[in-house]
Amino acid sequence: MEKVSSNKIENIEDVSEHAKTADKDDRKKKVVVMKNDNNRGNEHKCNRDENDNRKGLFNINFQIDLVSIVLFASAAFTRMYRLDDPKNIVFDELHYGKYISLYMKNTFFFDTHPPLGKQLIAGLAYFVGYDGKFKFERIGSSYSDGVPLFALRFMPALFGSLLIPTAYHLMLELGLKQTTCILASVLLLLDNAILTQSRFILMESMLLFFSLFGILCILKFRKLDLYSLKWFTWLILAAISLTCALCIKYVGFYSCCLGLAIIARDFWKILGSKQYSDRKLLTRFTIQALVIIIIPALVYLGIFFVHLKVLYKAGPHDSIMTSAFQASLEGGLASITKGQPLHISHGSQITLRHTHGRTCWLHSHQHVYPVRYPDKRGSSHQQQVSCYSFKDVNNWWIVKRPGKNDLVVEQPVDVIKHGDVVQLVHGITSRALNSHDVGAPMSPQCQEISCYIDYNISMPAQNMWKVNIINRDQFGDKWHTIQSLVRLIHVDTNQALKFSGKQLPDWGFHQHEVVADRIISQDDTIWNVEEHRYTKSEDQKERERDLVNAEMIPTAVTHLSFWDKLYELHYKMMFSSSDGVQNHMYSSEPIEWPLMSRGIAYFVSNTSNAQIHLLGNIVIWYSSTVSLAVYFALYTFYLLRRRRYCFDLDEHTWNRFIFIGEIFFVGYLFHYLPYFFVERTLFLHHYLPAFVFKVLLMAALIEHILILLTDVLKIKLLLYCASILLSIWLCSVCYIFKKFTVLSYGMTDLSTEDILDLRLKDTWDFIVHKN
Amino acid sequence: MEKKILPYNNHHVWWITFGTICILTLFTRFYKVSEPDHICWDETHFGKMGSWYINRTFFFDVHPPLGKMLIGLSGYLTGYDGTFAFDKPGDKYGNVSYVGMRMFCTALGASIVPMTYITVHEMTQSIVSSAFASLLILFDVGILTLTQYILLDPILLCFMMGAIMGSVKISFGEIPEFTFKWWTWLLFTGTMLACCISVKFVGLFVVLLVGFMTIADLWTVLGDLAKPVMITMKHLIARGLCLIVWPIFLYILFFYIHLKVLNHSGNGDGFYSSAFQSQLIGNSLHNASMPRQVAYGAIVTLKNHRTGGGYLHSHYHLYPDGVGARQQQVTTYTHKDDNNKWLIKKFNTEEFNGVELVKSGDLVRFEHMQTKRNLHAHKEHAPITKKHYQVTGYGENGTGDANDVWRLTLIGAKDGTELTAVSGKLRIVHYLQSCILTTSGKQLPKWGYEQQEVSCNPNLRDVNAVWNVEENVFDELPSVSFDVYAPSFMERFLESHAVMLQGNAGLKPKEGEITSRPWQWPINYRGQFFSGSGYRIYLLGNPVIWWSNLAFLALFLIIFTFNAIKEQRGYLKSLAEFHQGKLVACGWLFVGWLLHYVPFWAMGRILYFHHYFPALLFSSMITGIVLDYLLVEIPTLFPKNYSNTVHHILLALILSTISYSFVVFSPLAYGMSGPNANEPNSTMFGLKWLDSWEF
Repeated sequence: MEKVSSNKIENIEDVSEHAKTADKDDRKKKVVVMKNDNNRGNEHKCNRDENDNRKGLFNINFQIDLVSIVLFASAAFTRMYRLDDPKNIVFDELHYGKYISLYMKNTFFFDTHPPLGKQLIAGLAYFVGYDGKFKFERIGSSYSDGVPLFALRFMPALFGSLLIPTAYHLMLELGLKQTTCILASVLLLLDNAILTQSRFILMESMLLFFSLFGILCILKFRKLDLYSLKWFTWLILAAISLTCALCIKYVGFYSCCLGLAIIARDFWKILGSKQYSDRKLLTRFTIQALVIIIIPALVYLGIFFVHLKVLYKAGPHDSIMTSAFQASLEGGLASITKGQPLHISHGSQITLRHTHGRTCWLHSHQHVYPVRYPDKRGSSHQQQVSCYSFKDVNNWWIVKRPGKNDLVVEQPVDVIKHGDVVQLVHGITSRALNSHDVGAPMSPQCQEISCYIDYNISMPAQNMWKVNIINRDQFGDKWHTIQSLVRLIHVDTNQALKFSGKQLPDWGFHQHEVVADRIISQDDTIWNVEEHRYTKSEDQKERERDLVNAEMIPTAVTHLSFWDKLYELHYKMMFSSSDGVQNHMYSSEPIEWPLMSRGIAYFVSNTSNAQIHLLGNIVIWYSSTVSLAVYFALYTFYLLRRRRYCFDLDEHTWNRFIFIGEIFFVGYLFHYLPYFFVERTLFLHHYLPAFVFKVLLMAALIEHILILLTDVLKIKLLLYCASILLSIWLCSVCYIFKKFTVLSYGMTDLSTEDILDLRLKDTWDFIVHKN
Repeated sequence: MEKKILPYNNHHVWWITFGTICILTLFTRFYKVSEPDHICWDETHFGKMGSWYINRTFFFDVHPPLGKMLIGLSGYLTGYDGTFAFDKPGDKYGNVSYVGMRMFCTALGASIVPMTYITVHEMTQSIVSSAFASLLILFDVGILTLTQYILLDPILLCFMMGAIMGSVKISFGEIPEFTFKWWTWLLFTGTMLACCISVKFVGLFVVLLVGFMTIADLWTVLGDLAKPVMITMKHLIARGLCLIVWPIFLYILFFYIHLKVLNHSGNGDGFYSSAFQSQLIGNSLHNASMPRQVAYGAIVTLKNHRTGGGYLHSHYHLYPDGVGARQQQVTTYTHKDDNNKWLIKKFNTEEFNGVELVKSGDLVRFEHMQTKRNLHAHKEHAPITKKHYQVTGYGENGTGDANDVWRLTLIGAKDGTELTAVSGKLRIVHYLQSCILTTSGKQLPKWGYEQQEVSCNPNLRDVNAVWNVEENVFDELPSVSFDVYAPSFMERFLESHAVMLQGNAGLKPKEGEITSRPWQWPINYRGQFFSGSGYRIYLLGNPVIWWSNLAFLALFLIIFTFNAIKEQRGYLKSLAEFHQGKLVACGWLFVGWLLHYVPFWAMGRILYFHHYFPALLFSSMITGIVLDYLLVEIPTLFPKNYSNTVHHILLALILSTISYSFVVFSPLAYGMSGPNANEPNSTMFGLKWLDSWEF
């Protein structure tokens, strides 16, 4: 055992020295290559050493990166060609378009995705003067003339076009041959899925761009001199770009992880070298860590700050948020609650809202629980209490101290505090909220809640509730309107009033069940007062009249700080994602993606079979899937051989082989594997980030195999075969791309035969109009 | 230096410590093992299943069979006759001999402690480490509670620990390779792995851990240039045989026994296909005979192919107002009944001339035998799944309209293939609306007698839209015995797995139901009542142990990272040899902990507190080793003459804390009576440290 491990260590040191020299060699080679390029008048990126040598006074260094420009131009052409066709709502434009309209109207909306992508599009829409009046009603309906469709679709198309040259530079940065880099970007250019996804108001193209650009920045940054201006610039750019990816969709997080992993890997390598002192390393670590923490935090908060600043009006999604949040929006709850008394006191008339989860208010009505349930259990037969999702006069309750009978609020106000025991009297029926040892209708393990009716059957009233204010360190011991989150604890049984999530059957008018549960600390036991006013009259009739047509006197405006809003928005985003669309016709499973067994029908014309269907270029998809396996097999093979001290590759080739794997293969896994643990409905387009990494890996792998054939195996014949195969393959990629563009643009009328001709796999479901 | 502080490393001390721990284990585990004398918690399930094995009644469960078979076996051997109903927790056993089964589970559970001792000693060569690790497990009231009853967990934990012990013996021990002893341990590991995964599927994580350890082993062997590559190949083959082939064989063997033993019809039949059911004595399909092919004019029942899917059913009741058209209801019904019978007719004629077989691709109509109405679908919303179309019974005396026509396709067969009963899987597509006959599995409200909804799905890729003909009555064709459909063992084996998989995926928490979440487990947030009322038993970890486990886990990570950086900087010669490989041992245990804990975060199924206990074993072992590490390191901070004293004081302090905390919390496992802990006259007063604990 001992011998083995010491051997290993020596070996590792050996390798790292090798690596160093190889690195140096690499750099030299590159310089040579660059020079050649420049001599040829070719279009190459600027080289630092060269610039230093030639720095003169009135010398303007002007270089045009022709390849990038050509790539960008062709990408832009494919992506923006007749961009405003079809003039109909395509797939998720329905959602995103709606959000953009709401941005235009400054109306608050709720979305589980972060806002940056929508902001970018909305920014441009604002610039061209879109008024946000168009209602996005259903997929396929046509846009009215007032909608600047080209502008709305411009941003995704622009970023989709930028993606191509970015990929090119990313590959260059890895030191791959220029032809390989061009190959990689051309493959991305010729993929139909990315093309389709970039042409409409969708988020993926922006996400992809920011992810790749972030990684590109990191690759640039790691080669530069420590603490130079450029070093900082690229690091900060990387941080910004990756955070932007995160702010478009949270899956951008995986790109951030990849970026961090690359930085951590480099740092780990540096740790091993003796030329840096501990102190230097520590400072370096601290500086990097600070930049990586501070910049993203600022960007992220900034984006949400803009989001919340812009959306200050109440809108359709308000009810998802808590009362406090709603009250801070203009024209929403604020208009009702403005001027409410602040403190709940004896005699307060209140509505109690279930704070988290489903929006509903504690409710009661004249009807009683049925004597027996279908499962033969008995009930108390007292008045029903439920949670009702609509505003209703029966949602009003009056807070009462047990000792007092006069309900009028007197001066000084008798404020209820944390720990006080109160009774809650239903406003219209004047019965008190009660609980007892009877099983609740839908959840028999919990206690029933009722409004007490005295049947004289030795079932005494148990209507004392202790007020337990949870956030009292924030708002104090007094029970505040809206802000205070309370639990109502039943005094006799020590159980908490809870929204159970179940619906009552017909007899309960399908309202939601309310129970008392002995598990007190859970989200569903939290309530807050939403509307509130003081009782002014003792007379029951008059009180009812008050309840029915109440008018408030405005006195103060509620305000919620940015941090509170941010916190709440994130809380809701975390916990509301579960109710996505189930069983969508075109949803797919992660396991189906690498072989592309299902596309997504985005749009079909009403009049013809012209349609848009998200499908990738099948040649690229399949071959890149194969390349994953090939890479892994080669990697294992080399590793095993090296373990036996058989070094097939020279150090430089080996290091590069490893590095492309560390970025692209690991990147692929980062962007793909997490989907296996996601419970939401998933679609093919979720695979695109992983797909991009896969394609880049394939390009790099092709270069590696060609090098293997020329330098290591040295069999001419094989090389010829490989080149021929490669050209055939490239032709087929182009052919398939051309063939399937009709599904990306959706402008060509297709006959049924045409569509059947496109249906290469029988799991693809295209839409054909019946005649 | 170390030798001076640790004079314990010799054979005698090893045996004395080991013996003491074994005696303590026996004493703590078997104390009050027969109490309470009523059914506790899940004993109601596993006891029941044990009885079914004794009675040879078929049942369905989401777990593989070995654990329950062992329970059944132990009951059988100790004189339990399988007659007790195991109805619900709290039922008194009376004079049922349940103690045998309890003793068996407890004995397996008790073996965890000595095995931990051996494992940790093998990994670290330190008696202190192994003593700590095993004591932490010994004195945890949670493990004690969990291993004292008729449950799967003691069995699972025992096999798991066994597998780890075996693989550690191979990887860390110094057994010469390819000797008899080596092979024995390798086979032992393989056997334990097979047992582990045959008790519960979480055993898979242990398999992964052992797999990783084996790969690491092979990697070391491969790197030893003194040995030829053939040695590695030999190793590879040996491991493959003992750790892959042998366990698979055992696993299949267990299922073979399971399916052989359970040959009587029971309550699990409905989950399985018609062919499967025909193998069960007492099932109506057993020894039945009917024509093999389906002909026009045959009276058939159609069974849906989803797990627990029922028979296509109709009855004299109409859909109520507001639910589609007011026509006759069509549902699926899981019980056998005359209303499940349908007559197959051609699409265009009521006449039957002679024997004409139904073929794939044919257009047919189905007439309900009792009500003489045809199976019909039209463009109205289905009652529950609004995206689907409504399916009704329509027409009179077999005459309806064009919407009664359906096209049959056999899955995996060309058009024109003859339809066979039982084995042929059918898709039934509506001819005009081009939608597929399916059942959503959702229950209809009261008007539908809580039978399941049948609808017509315009998305033809519906996975539930598969049916097969079960009964097939037609006089003019010769009847064949059902034996021709008898599935082979492998088919039954695969079908059981498909059903188990679906069952497992179906264990989703209902809306509003409180479930235990993985983050609650390590912090011992909330326990689980095993027995309520007069004699209360509450499954809860010893908080002293659990919380220090967490702290030590963090501490280990810090120490590990710190030393890894030191090694990378060249300040430390070798991480592997640091403290006799303690860090590496902890590293492996940490991987084990991760494997047994993290996957639960990604699981959508319903989770329980006791799912954490496998991970807890790893965490306790880490704590044991890190404690030992600290006991060596801390005294060195003191002057030399004090270090020995400090060492011993610490040792005593730790030991007494662990054992005292056990004494204090042991009523949780041995039973509490009297008032709740929040009342001052309770024996447990002052021990309710978290509000969420319910004792």
